[in-house]
Amino acid sequence: MYSYQNKNVNYYNNNFNQPLYTEDASSSKLYDPYQGFIRGNMFPNLYNAYKLSQPLDIKPMNEQEQLLMFLDALSFATIDINLYLDLYQNDQDMIALFNQYRIEANRLRTEYEKKYGPILVDSDASNTYPWAWDNRPWPWENK
Amino acid sequence: MWIYKKKLEYPVNIKNKDLRMAKYLVTQYGGPAGELSAAWQYLNQRYTMPDEKGKALLTDIGTEELAHVEIISTMIYQLTDGATIEEMEAAGLGSNYAQFGMDLFPSDSFGNPFTMAYIKTAGDPIANIESDMAAEQRARATYEHLMDLTNDPDILGPLSFLRQREIIHYQRFKELRNYYLDMQTKNS
Repeated sequence: MYSYQNKNVNYYNNNFNQPLYTEDASSSKLYDPYQGFIRGNMFPNLYNAYKLSQPLDIKPMNEQEQLLMFLDALSFATIDINLYLDLYQNDQDMIALFNQYRIEANRLRTEYEKKYGPILVDSDASNTYPWAWDNRPWPWENK
Repeated sequence: MWIYKKKLEYPVNIKNKDLRMAKYLVTQYGGPAGELSAAWQYLNQRYTMPDEKGKALLTDIGTEELAHVEIISTMIYQLTDGATIEEMEAAGLGSNYAQFGMDLFPSDSFGNPFTMAYIKTAGDPIANIESDMAAEQRARATYEHLMDLTNDPDILGPLSFLRQREIIHYQRFKELRNYYLDMQTKNS
């Protein structure tokens, strides 16, 4: 019904105003979590670039940032699929994909928290002395 | 309730101070098409949605918008971090410094304070969701204008991410609106 074309070069390709049929979405047609993450969108038929000729890669400066990047990507995949599933509760494949990414994200979060401290205050990584929740960096800090 | 995740939805690492862009970007924090306004519009409308689809979608998109408030706030913080008073004044931010020091304040890019009068609600699910679709389109357009005003990839990355999220949210709201319209037709 609608085939994905790379229209990145056109600034004003308002394809989101065309009748898109997400009912057509199939879990096998989604971007992988990293490719979806850097686009801000897991659904290729809804991707619409503006100004950027290609999506910008995340450039982690160290191991901590790299691990966070993979966690961010998986976490993002679950957020975007979640919104889709709110409307299409019977899409079994998509539910399976959601759960696959959810499990991978939880595994990575635990790994990150073991090394760098809690992301969620109720994680096992909060069982430390001294109290680790107030450790830097806070998400808005980059120095 | 809400739980804090100590990370951003999308990373922000701005290396170059840019007060000019900070002054423009603030509108996506506290302006009429900003993230704060979107978050509260959806979270406020969700209580009276007619079915589970609407309640779930408005809760989840409203929650995501709160994460976008944090991304925009982070950008403003990093763009102004370490600025001198002279630099603030030269960028036309002297009044901000006078009132708020180096703190953030939710306003539009002219300095008008955020107001809940921005949020729309009409006691009708179709009217509400169409106002949400419009909110997403206005935010998308604002992100495009902001992207037009810079070539710094550290700023373009998050702006592009946020812009794309508006497109997705718009699509989901449109699907929900169409679903409710179909239901109305079937029931009439």
